[in-house]
Amino acid sequence: MDFLSNTKINFMALKKAGFTLSSALAIGSILMLMLGINLGIDFKGGTMVGLSFSEDVTIQEVRSSLENITIDGNEFDLSGEEVKYFGSNSDVMIKIKSFENEPKNFGQGVINNIYEIMKNKAPEDKNEFVLSLGTVSPKVGTELSGKALWSIVSALVLILFYISIRFEFRFAIGAILALVHDILITLGIFSLTGYEITLSTIAAFLTIVGYSLNDTIVILDRIRENMKSSGTVMFENTINKSINQSLGRTLITSLTTLLVIIVLLIYGGEIIRPFAFTMMVGVIIGTYSSIYIASGFLASIYKSSN
Amino acid sequence: MNNGLRTRLLLILFIFGLGVYSLFPTMRYQFLSDEKKSLLSKNEVEYLEENTIKQGLDLKGGIYIVLEVDLPQLINNLASNKDKKFEIFLDDLSNQYSNNTGDFFTLFEKNAIDKDLKLPRYFINYGKTKDQITEQLKLEADDAINRIIEIIQNRVDQFGVSEPTIQKQGSDRVIVELAGIQDSERARSLLQSTALLELMIVKNVESTNTIIRQIDNLANTSNSIEDKKTDVENLFSTDEGANDLQFSSLLIGVGNDIGIEKNNLDKLNAILEQESIKQLLDATNGQFLLSNSAKTFINDFGDEEEIYIVYHLNKNAELTGGVIENAQVRIAQSGVTAGQPIVQMEMSSAGSREWARITGANIQKRIAIVLDKKVHMAPVINSQIFGGATVIEGLDSVNEAEDIAIVLRAGALPVPVTIVEERTVGASLGADSVNQGTYSMIIGLLLVILFIVLYYRMSGFIASFSVIWTLILLLGVLALLQATLTLPGIAGLILTVGMSVDANVIIFERIKEELRKGKAIRSAIDAGYQRAITTIVDANLTTGIAAAVLYQYGSGPIKGFATVLFWGIIVSMFTAIIVTRFVFDFITSRRNIEKLSI
Repeated sequence: MDFLSNTKINFMALKKAGFTLSSALAIGSILMLMLGINLGIDFKGGTMVGLSFSEDVTIQEVRSSLENITIDGNEFDLSGEEVKYFGSNSDVMIKIKSFENEPKNFGQGVINNIYEIMKNKAPEDKNEFVLSLGTVSPKVGTELSGKALWSIVSALVLILFYISIRFEFRFAIGAILALVHDILITLGIFSLTGYEITLSTIAAFLTIVGYSLNDTIVILDRIRENMKSSGTVMFENTINKSINQSLGRTLITSLTTLLVIIVLLIYGGEIIRPFAFTMMVGVIIGTYSSIYIASGFLASIYKSSN
Repeated sequence: MNNGLRTRLLLILFIFGLGVYSLFPTMRYQFLSDEKKSLLSKNEVEYLEENTIKQGLDLKGGIYIVLEVDLPQLINNLASNKDKKFEIFLDDLSNQYSNNTGDFFTLFEKNAIDKDLKLPRYFINYGKTKDQITEQLKLEADDAINRIIEIIQNRVDQFGVSEPTIQKQGSDRVIVELAGIQDSERARSLLQSTALLELMIVKNVESTNTIIRQIDNLANTSNSIEDKKTDVENLFSTDEGANDLQFSSLLIGVGNDIGIEKNNLDKLNAILEQESIKQLLDATNGQFLLSNSAKTFINDFGDEEEIYIVYHLNKNAELTGGVIENAQVRIAQSGVTAGQPIVQMEMSSAGSREWARITGANIQKRIAIVLDKKVHMAPVINSQIFGGATVIEGLDSVNEAEDIAIVLRAGALPVPVTIVEERTVGASLGADSVNQGTYSMIIGLLLVILFIVLYYRMSGFIASFSVIWTLILLLGVLALLQATLTLPGIAGLILTVGMSVDANVIIFERIKEELRKGKAIRSAIDAGYQRAITTIVDANLTTGIAAAVLYQYGSGPIKGFATVLFWGIIVSMFTAIIVTRFVFDFITSRRNIEKLSI
């Protein structure tokens, strides 16, 4: 099959539109993030409890069971905390912020209270009732956020360094811009959905970084190769040519990756879903950004320097 | 076949063989039924377990707990001549430490300087200068953590968990991973319990009545309780008059003991935490402790009330758990507790002598058996006890009795620990995500193969072959590294599949391009590979750098992701550049192909 060869699409003609779209999306994402990003307990500290009832329950019901939680003689009203379904109407996830004088084994205490109150809808074996329980102290949360941020930033710096050596500094800036663009916009769309950011979703974001980087380098590599013969005169044409030449590869790779991700999104189960969703958005944006951000940036910067 | 091809074939076969060989234990283990597993010898099972790819707790179910050692408490234990100034220093230090991510001893030194605390005054046994003392205390802390790890290891072993992981993290944390644990509540209390056993004399009724009167007087004059209540977030603070906060009015007579209703516990604690009352108790060498569990009583109005017994005890223990040599669960044969589980303890010979002396000197008094500051029982000493036998009763279940016996045998932790991070995944949730994850991976992979075969025909088969081998080899490497596969690790696998397909696509598209230029098949393949290699190497190396950095700095799940990604890159470069190249060369060397199916 060969319908993707010899395309002559003038990608760079839409460069301005691309920049505008990206800027709009980026600003929108920053606004979304400022409005409130749904950070999971990994970064904020707190307790997260997943419970599996033996029959369907309403969120209201669970919430009212949280009104009067007694642990070691201390009473807590947790009815204002986040409660949502997890996969089915009989499984729920409860996210509780951390308290200053939290008693020992707070999460288990909460579970025990709910179990007592909603006993008629809970499975007999308490171990089957508990799907998951996570507790992170605010201190550890701060540490984890610091580590995650630090690792992403240092990876970006090293990549910048490598591309500068192998290509040119300007290429590196383009590639990093594309990466930041991808992460930012995916984060924005991610926070629109209300999924929360956990260490696992960070891994998904890193996957996007890897993927988008791969995609960008392939195109930049083509541009570098074509530059050898045609230099930077009519640079936009060279860039267009390069993108067209690698278009077959770009589309096929994106398509195959999307295939795996979509299957994962549909059949992968509740835990993997936010993860697969992030990757799907990231792959689409990553493909787009290789063309319009990384290459588009090169086109503009050479235009202004020539 | 010419020599060049043969060498390459041998190399490839060798590596494939190695990959399959290292995956073999994993495959065998996966397909082994529990029945057959029980037929294998212990060594064989151990070998298999050691050499399989382990599933992370997020996939398998289990608990991951990070325990933080209470270093401020350790410092408090080690200090002597403690005064008000030292208490304030320690309070501030532990507050700062719980909100600060820095190193404890740096904070310790900084605070000591800021507060102009003369360290040698409190730590005379640990050195003469500030530096010496800090150094020595660091060693003590290190020693304490190592002991804690040893004790926890001991407890976990006795609890019977397969493949527990217990490791030190930083200078003050211990990570415990227990896979496949069903009862996380029980495991958690087993890990966390300090297991400090104390035998304490119960004060007589007269002095208890006196102290209650004195506390009432003090509590009435001080109004700091109200202030205290407002800072305790989320307590149900109802507006009550000072009279209701009287100590004696909270207490209820329960037989010969005094009790307190469960709902009044916070009020009791608020009173006992007042400075003046602490001082009073210190001065009379006494303390109040509660029973380990509440008992349900029907009150005068016919309502159920849960009541804890309040004990007034000597401040200092007569004997502590260090003297315990053995502890076993028994079922009580006689008395009021007949049929209930009890823990029977044996003491060392020195402990037995001491115990005989204590019981001899306190006949007709009550002695409280206190575990982790909770009173389990307080029997009257009827006669002197020789031989060091003691029991703990008042336990809810056989499980509880077993756990207490375990912690007593394994020994008490030198310092309390707290859980700072915990992740428990129920076995069912883990199993669900493994199944769904695996199925969707397989379906996804099949779709990808179908797609590239449709698109690239014959060459698509070669690419599929290389993708499948990439996965096999990658899993083989993970088995060799004895790595743990977690959810983010699966993401790494997906990315690897993606990159491996990508490498093939890059090569094929290049070959097609060269063919379009009119080159012969052999030279198109040569040129295609040559040009594609730079692209693939650059793209993969950049991602590899990212993976290496993430491995260096990342924690837990991120690290798992980075491991898979890093090796995935290396393996996929090998299969795409060397293996598929070999296949193409092999095909074209055999026959003179006129048309390449690509």
